[in-house]
Amino acid sequence: MTTATTRRPSRWMPSTPVASTMRFLLFLAYGIPIVWILTTSLKQPGDVLSRDAAFFFEPTLDAYVAALSNGGLLDAALQSLTIASATTVLTLVLAVPAAYFLARVQGGWSTALLTGLIVLQIMPQTSMVIPLFQVFGEWRILDQTIAVILADTALLTPFAVLLLRPFFRSVPETLEEAASIDGASTWRTFRSILVPLISNGLATTATLIFLISWGEFLYAVNFFLSPGNYPLSALLAQQVSAYGINWPGLMALAVITSIPILVLFSFTYRFLKEGLTLGAVK
Amino acid sequence: MEHTPRTSRLRFLALLPASALLLAGCATDQGESDSTTLTVWHYFSEDTQVGVMTAYEEMFEASHPDVDVENVFVPYDQYTSKLIAGVGSATGPDVVVFNGGEASTLALAGTLAPMTEYWDSFADAGQFPDGVVHRIDGEVYMAQGYVNLLGLWYNQDILTEIGVEVPTTVDELTAAMEAAKQAGYEGITLSGLSQGQGEWQAYPWLSASGFTWDNLDEAGLTAGYELVKSWVDAGYLSGESATWDQTVPFQRFAAGGVAFAENGNWQQGTAASTAEFEYGVAALPIGDGGQVYLGGEAEGIGAFSENPDLAWEYLSETFYSAEGQLASLEGSGTIPSRLDVAEDEGVTGNPLLAGFAESVARNGANYPPANALPESVSDLQLLGGQMWSSVISGQLSPADAAAQLIEGVQPFLR
Amino acid sequence: MSTRALSTTATGRTSRRGRAARWPYILPAAIFLAVLSAYPLVQLVRMSVSAVSSRTLRDPWEFTGLDNLMRGIESGDTGAALLRTLIFVTIVFTVGMIGGLAAALALRGRRGSSGFLLALMVFVWALPPVVNGSVWKFLLGDAGLFNELARTVGLTDTAIPFLYDQHLSLISVALVNSWAVVPFNALVFRAALMGIPPEVIEAAKLDGASAWQEIVHILVPSVRATAVVLSVLTVVYAFRSFDFIYVMTYGGPGTSTVTLPFLAYLQAFVRYDFGLGAATSIVAGALVIVLAIAYARNVRKEEAA
Repeated sequence: MTTATTRRPSRWMPSTPVASTMRFLLFLAYGIPIVWILTTSLKQPGDVLSRDAAFFFEPTLDAYVAALSNGGLLDAALQSLTIASATTVLTLVLAVPAAYFLARVQGGWSTALLTGLIVLQIMPQTSMVIPLFQVFGEWRILDQTIAVILADTALLTPFAVLLLRPFFRSVPETLEEAASIDGASTWRTFRSILVPLISNGLATTATLIFLISWGEFLYAVNFFLSPGNYPLSALLAQQVSAYGINWPGLMALAVITSIPILVLFSFTYRFLKEGLTLGAVK
Repeated sequence: MEHTPRTSRLRFLALLPASALLLAGCATDQGESDSTTLTVWHYFSEDTQVGVMTAYEEMFEASHPDVDVENVFVPYDQYTSKLIAGVGSATGPDVVVFNGGEASTLALAGTLAPMTEYWDSFADAGQFPDGVVHRIDGEVYMAQGYVNLLGLWYNQDILTEIGVEVPTTVDELTAAMEAAKQAGYEGITLSGLSQGQGEWQAYPWLSASGFTWDNLDEAGLTAGYELVKSWVDAGYLSGESATWDQTVPFQRFAAGGVAFAENGNWQQGTAASTAEFEYGVAALPIGDGGQVYLGGEAEGIGAFSENPDLAWEYLSETFYSAEGQLASLEGSGTIPSRLDVAEDEGVTGNPLLAGFAESVARNGANYPPANALPESVSDLQLLGGQMWSSVISGQLSPADAAAQLIEGVQPFLR
Repeated sequence: MSTRALSTTATGRTSRRGRAARWPYILPAAIFLAVLSAYPLVQLVRMSVSAVSSRTLRDPWEFTGLDNLMRGIESGDTGAALLRTLIFVTIVFTVGMIGGLAAALALRGRRGSSGFLLALMVFVWALPPVVNGSVWKFLLGDAGLFNELARTVGLTDTAIPFLYDQHLSLISVALVNSWAVVPFNALVFRAALMGIPPEVIEAAKLDGASAWQEIVHILVPSVRATAVVLSVLTVVYAFRSFDFIYVMTYGGPGTSTVTLPFLAYLQAFVRYDFGLGAATSIVAGALVIVLAIAYARNVRKEEAA
């Protein structure tokens, strides 16, 4: 048994031909667009739509130089970081206990709340803008970062609750009972036993929330009134207008703004653990 | 041992809220200054156009040292919803710069302050043709500092190779495209997008066939649709244009291999920086009956501006002044709306602008159409675009599209 | 498996006793969402039964009952968009769920290539739709990679009209949307797969289960709860998907890719008939509510069993 457990990782490896084929297909499906983005970001604007220059062109870093020399880039990056990290924290603070509640408490209320969470998701984001603008106007927080953070949190909390709930469900309730027999309060059990046990779900949900709020642009563009406050996502939108699109500029900026995403992802990737090792908790 | 990494992770998570709130605190801390700020919303992102906005900012700040002009980029797609959202909480910019074709939408939504009084006492008001002054219910809400319009861009290298002259009639154009196709080139690029941009590009061809908004001639409309359909069928025009806006078709033209492009004067910058062939612009070959919309951005005063007088001074010293219009002409190739400036050598002496200037005089039409109901302008543009796109992609036959347009457009017209 | 059985027998007892103690867990989220999400939703519902245009947005809204809904239906727009939406949702759901699960299964190990592939997928997923949509628009264009390949292998001598054929365009846009949702589903499925107690898998291996049997009998049933949630989220995503259509076709050619969310956008933010647009959103919403109730019932049944 012990040897089997220590050798477990190797037995997890799906190395069947089917799995290899799947990996190859995924590599093509997601690799090709990335290659297109990278090559376009290294082209002159005139080469993007030229058939002759589809594959063979003289690479240039002009687009990157232009994007990086934009004085507002650092401010915008800081703003994106603020919005995304505050939204992630606030969403989790609200959603983790709520998901726990909905995983444990059953009955009409809980069913109604679950239905309600899905219903809240159906609103087109565009039609949220006008009512939220009124609310934020009354609260006098328009043009402030907090308005965008609150709006993003409202957008993502139902989603986070729904995602986290099955992870709480997968934790046996006997664990909680054991802890309560030992005299731990509900809150302490929740905080020090349950939350660590769902760390896979938590890390994944946190990553997703961070990424979505990092890229969110509709609220950012609408609730900020001064140009200096725009985050990176709104800066990206500036590359596209009715009068012209700078493809290399757009792609270069997209690559630059996505690098933090890769850093975050490689961090959470290592975070994920295989399997719940129940023995360690008891 | 098992719990060690977990606790450090939790500690890391616990640190996040504190740092995030700290950052939020820093970021919302806005500096206040004593000078008056004049906020100008625009949707320009092309360097040349942004350059003109900056030049205007500098011009006005030089004559008003106590004023700080703040140009704010708002993406076109978010512009109206952001303005309309502001109405509820009485916020908005001092100066609105937006597509003149949608002036009535902005005015009806209460986002603009009427500027009739300013306009009536404006000494140079007479220099502006009626088509560029947007009146809704008798009030002036916006006026344009320049006009944009479509012309026929041509690739001189290809025309020379196939031995044809610049076409002056639709038949000559069709013949030239056939010759270009025989030589292995594409005939023309244009926008067939199913929205306002498509409608804007469709109208010259439809009006050349006898359909105008004050004369809903179904036979003429069908003929216009059949014309473009025949171009697609013959391979002069790619069906792909049904999903492209105006930008990409021009980039395709500028990349080479296409004989013609129906596109605007604002593309001069792209042409100069991209095209590696000799090119020129002629008036669209749509005869005397054809119409070309006179578009471009219109400027107005925001409904909630705290300094409407100052906003008017800004407009009259930049967009509406001879000096300002010349700066825009030089900076981004716009065609001045003032009659006196349109005579300037910068226009008449510029071979590229000459083609456009010819169109203004011969085919220029109000944009939006004068008989469109102010509240239905965008319905009309959307429907026109959808029908145009349907014909190019083959979703509808020319006859069906013509019948649907004429039936659907009735409620939108006076 | 034994822990599972134990927990269900204990569930009834604790949840009744612990319910009062647990209410504080839901309150912050409930209050927050009541203020910032439910209020806009109520406004949308009110709008859908009122005559609201950009001209009357500021005034008290005139109640017109089902007039907006009827106008949408009578014009034929709602019905056509509904049909397209159902096709669109079916494609996104099928490809998104199967693709997501398959990707998670193929990438559930910890080898370097899995990490690299996942990073690639997440990177792409996080790019804004204007970038992803434009990239696919070029790749699927006449001069794009797919048409170059099709010409090379002799499938066509001109070009396959991926985005400008009235039937093909809806399928193309739906497939690109599915492509965009697969990384998300894969990531969540993978987290759920990794949460399966190793003992369970070991037991199956010792019983001599093949890889396929392991997937069908152990892995998939174990992530059922996650799969149900992801189904709901994927369908909701598909029902409100708008960005890619906006970037790739703008509802065109003609009206071939005008789905309900895009129709609602056109009505509310291009034509400024907010009432009509809200009514269209409510039609899409009503379908999602049916789904939400089905989900909640499923959850109750699953947990009562």
